[in-house]
This record gives sequence, structure tokens and C-alpha cells, in this order.
Amino acid sequence: MMQQILTLSFMTAFLSAAVRLAMPLMYGGLGEIYAEKSGILNIGMEGVMLCGAFFSFAGAWYSGSLAVGLVCGIAGGIAVALIHGLLSIYLAKDQSVSGLALNMLTLGLTSFLFKLMSAGQGYQQIQTLPSVALPGLSALPLIGEAFFNKDILTYLLYVLLILTHIFYKKTNLGLSFAAIGENPEAAASAGVPVHRFQWIAMLLNGILGGIAGAYLVLVQLGVFTEDMVSGRGYIALATVIFGRYTPFGMFGAALVFGAANALQIRLQTIGVSISPYLLGLLPYLITIFAMLGAVGKNAKPESLSKPYIKGSR
Amino acid sequence: MKKRWMSVMMTAAMILSAAAFSTVAQADDEPLKVALCLSGAANDQGWNQTAYEGCAAACEKYGLELSYSENLEAADIASAFADYASSDYDVIIGHGYEFGDPALEVAEQYPDVIFICTEADAAADNVASYVMACEQTGYVEGVIAAMMTESGKVGGIGPIQGDSLVKIINAFEDGAKSVDPDIEVKTAWTNSFVDTQLAQEAARAMIDDGVDVIKHCANACGNGAMAAAVEAGIWCEGDSYDQSSLAPDNILDSALYNLDVVLDIALGKVVDGSFEGEVVNLGMDSGAVEVLMSDNLPDDVKEAAQELIDQIISGEVEVVRDYTIRS
Repeated sequence: MMQQILTLSFMTAFLSAAVRLAMPLMYGGLGEIYAEKSGILNIGMEGVMLCGAFFSFAGAWYSGSLAVGLVCGIAGGIAVALIHGLLSIYLAKDQSVSGLALNMLTLGLTSFLFKLMSAGQGYQQIQTLPSVALPGLSALPLIGEAFFNKDILTYLLYVLLILTHIFYKKTNLGLSFAAIGENPEAAASAGVPVHRFQWIAMLLNGILGGIAGAYLVLVQLGVFTEDMVSGRGYIALATVIFGRYTPFGMFGAALVFGAANALQIRLQTIGVSISPYLLGLLPYLITIFAMLGAVGKNAKPESLSKPYIKGSR
Repeated sequence: MKKRWMSVMMTAAMILSAAAFSTVAQADDEPLKVALCLSGAANDQGWNQTAYEGCAAACEKYGLELSYSENLEAADIASAFADYASSDYDVIIGHGYEFGDPALEVAEQYPDVIFICTEADAAADNVASYVMACEQTGYVEGVIAAMMTESGKVGGIGPIQGDSLVKIINAFEDGAKSVDPDIEVKTAWTNSFVDTQLAQEAARAMIDDGVDVIKHCANACGNGAMAAAVEAGIWCEGDSYDQSSLAPDNILDSALYNLDVVLDIALGKVVDGSFEGEVVNLGMDSGAVEVLMSDNLPDDVKEAAQELIDQIISGEVEVVRDYTIRS
């Protein structure tokens, strides 16, 4: 068995699968970083992604264009994120309750709309986005195939990761966005428009979460199925904590989870005689162990999930 | 004030959108009264809708009166059964494995009420279970897969290792090995009915390993396995419905489970008085399960498969029902 695993072709295929499984987590995680850095915990990421998945499918199906699908998916994600913004910024409600409620709401809503859409029809499916090999980079051994022979959305993520890193580390604006998650009162007294920035953060949260869901449909599957995000939104939240609220940390965490999931499903097909239930635990176990290893300074924004009410103290 | 109103309205909207537990009853006490209990929505375009429609058709045929309950959680089943039993219903149907134990429990207190469960293993004086012999279709699909593979490797993907799914994958393996004892049958379980991407990755892992025919019984998430097969240009075999439109050029066949036939037989037995408290296995001979072959199959394979189907129907070939988890 070990001989089967330790071949270059197995490792290449395995890494490629790890990246595919990690990609929705990375987009969702990146969206969550923007929200949480600004003090808003969006547990509703699962719902944002599910709406992204459904509306990207519906858009692409009715228009016949993947670009329209992507735009619709983003719009779906934004809608959910802004409802969360309405409840947690404007109405200053409990963010965990709002997020969980949105997850249930979107599950019911997307399943219902999908049934309307597919009533009396056969299976509906769309073409998926093709892979584009980056010249040079894709020829690298082992990682070339996994990271640089992918679709446009994957490459876009790499760019967004770098931009996010620069934004928070090198720009004053980024500092202001991070400040409102740490101490909104202090930020406000320094002239930062707290609520306006939080709304912008939620907009980004919706856009990126929408792409996370759209990635599943437009790049990987070409079909929508009920509840197809199946917990990836929650894992995305974990990757943010595990990645210490930094884009590259989150990237690494998502990759670990994707790799663990890719490994367990591949071990099954090789015929490893371990129960699939136990193998299915592998990604979660690795995540928990990794989080245990990440003890130390808490990177969590000080005012995360505490509503900011202007003038109150 | 304005803010409070908004939050009240949002809460109301969310509550309304949650799936509601509903009961529809009709008043008329002449014919036998049948109650159907479902674990999901009666219009779910799948497991529950086929049962509802099958039940409605059977009731129409036998002149019975039908009521139904939707979206029952496991914890609510016993009380829903007891509600119906105490309101003078004559036949109570629970659709799914999870209804078996509550039926046994409630049936003891209502000896005059007949309980029927699908896909369960419950049997008592007034409780019968009707199980579809999905192992028969799985076996035939295994034979077809083995005849179509060129690499000598085939794969089976399932969702969760429940009895009714394990028996399909096991029979698929048995069928494939009956054609070629040396064939490699790879299996994977997604541990989820909904994780479509993981089913796709399971199929891709098999394809990377040389598998060129994939059978799935993974409900909706099996669509991911079909997508991977289409992408790689290999053969695949569908489940539950005619899935040919998902993979028109790659599909070999679909296993069909005809719940309408099952419910027709079950209610027919009640009406003509031949009801017995037993576990009934309904196979290809009754039309409860069948293999729908596609035109992608070459004639010789089609003929061989049809011959096997005929033998299973006549009882000449008996497919083993094996619930043990193999690895």
C-alpha cells in the first residue's frame, strides 16, 4: 500500500485533489477574514456559499453563460451577507443567532427554488470552466499540476490572497479596517466610519463567499444538488481561526483540510481496511490537532461579534 | 421603534420559511382509512414524492382514503403513529427504515391497526415490512460493468454505510466477480448524502487508478460521480432514476426502484385480506426493482444482461443479500 502512495503520480494527483477540495474553503475563508477583521462574525458563511452555488447554477443555466452564472452567484452571496449585515450592523443583533438562522433559511430557500426550477424536467447541467495551464509554472514537478494547471478562479484567488495581505499589512486603509475589529470606539474617535467600513466588509464577505459556492458549480460539478456545500462554510470559519486571521495562514489551513479530505477518499479507493467513518474523521482530527498546535497568542480581533453602537460605551 | 419592527418581521420571515410539520386529513368514514408518514416533503421529487404518488395511485385503485404527514423527525414518528392509530385509521404506512422500530412499539397497543413499513425489517402480527431487493439490480449492474471494462478495474461509490446501501455495493462486487473473478472492485463511501464534490473526488481517485466503469448509489451526491465519469470519458451506472440525461454518452444503465409497485402490492394485500405480519422482499419478479439499460450498451452485453435478469426473475439465479461491510 505504501508503495502505491509514494509514487510521483499518486502524489501529483493527490495534491491536485487537495487544491480542488480546498478552493471553496479558501474563498469562504478569505471572505470571512474581511468580515471578522472588522468585528463581524458571519457564521452564515455556509448560507452565503449555498446561495452562491444555487444562483450561479441558475444564472448559468438560464443564460447559457458561465460569466453570467458567476455574477448571479456573487449577487446571491452578497444578498445573504447583507442580510447578516442588516441584522448585526444596523440592528446590532446577536451575530451567532443571525448567522445560524441564515444557514437554515438559505438551505430551505435554495432547495425550494431548485425544486421549482427543476420541476418536471430531467437533470439539468451546465458546462464547467476549463483549466488553463500557466506556461512554465505548470511544468514544475509535483506542485505544478496541483497549483498552476487550474481554472481562472483559482488563479484569481492567488491574486486576492496577495492583495489582501498587502491591504492589511501595508496600507492605512487596511489598518483602519482592522482597527474597527479591535476597538471600534477608538477607531471611531480617530475618524474611521465604523459602520460604513463594516458594510464594505460584509459586501466583500458576500462576494467572496458567493464565488466559493459558484466554484463548486461552475468549476467542479456543473450541477446543483441540495445542501451541496455540506458544511464547507463552517470549515471555512475554522480555517480562519487556525490561520490566525491572516490570508496566507488561512490558505495553509484550508490546504491542510483539503489534503486530509483528499487523502481519506483516496485511501478508501486503494482499499485501506479502515472504516470509512474513521477515515472521514481524518480531516477534522487533523484540523483539531493543528489548532492545538497553534496555541499561543490569540489572534482573534478583540471586538469580534460585539455589535458597535454609535455613542455607547 | 422602526428597528424593532424590522427585526420582528425578519424573525417572522425566518420562522415561516422553516419546514412546517403539516397534516392533511379528509373527512369521510366509509372506506378504509390509510395514513402515510414521510420523513421529508411529499413533493421532494425523490424518495418521498414517489411514495406519496404511488400511495395515492394505489388508494385510488382500491378505493381507499388517504391522509399523510410530512417532514417527520425520528423523534416524532411514534407519536404520529399513535395519533393516527387512535383516530380510527385502519392502515398506517411509514416510509423508510427509521419507521420500523416505532411501528413495532405503537402496533402493540393498537392490535386492530395494520402497520406497513418500507425498507424496514420490522414484523409482528399487525406489522409488515416491504423491502426492495436492490441487491438484484446491483448484481446485474456489476455483471454489466465487468463486461464493459477494459482495464479490469471497476468502482462503486456509496453515501453512508447503511444496510440498504451496503447490500447494493456488495452485490455489485459479487456480480462483477461472477464474470471475472480477478476483476478489481474499488469502493468508496462519502459519509454524506449531500457532499457532491467529495463523491466527484472519489470517482476521480478511482479514475486516476485506472477504473473505467463507475457505479454509484449515492443519492444526489452521486451526481458528482457521474460528472467525473463524463469528464474522464469513462462508463458510469446511475441509480434511483433514469439518469441518462446526466451522462448521455457515458451511461450504461440506471437501477430503478419502483415504489409505486411496492405500495400497490402492500395495500393490495390489505384489501384482499391476505395481509400477514412479515418482511417481504420484492425483487425483479414483481417489478419493484429493474435495470434500465441504455443504448450505449453493445447488443451482446444487453442480451447477456437480459438473460441474467430473466434468470433472476425465474429464480434460477439467486442473488445473495449481504449486509456485512467489506473493505
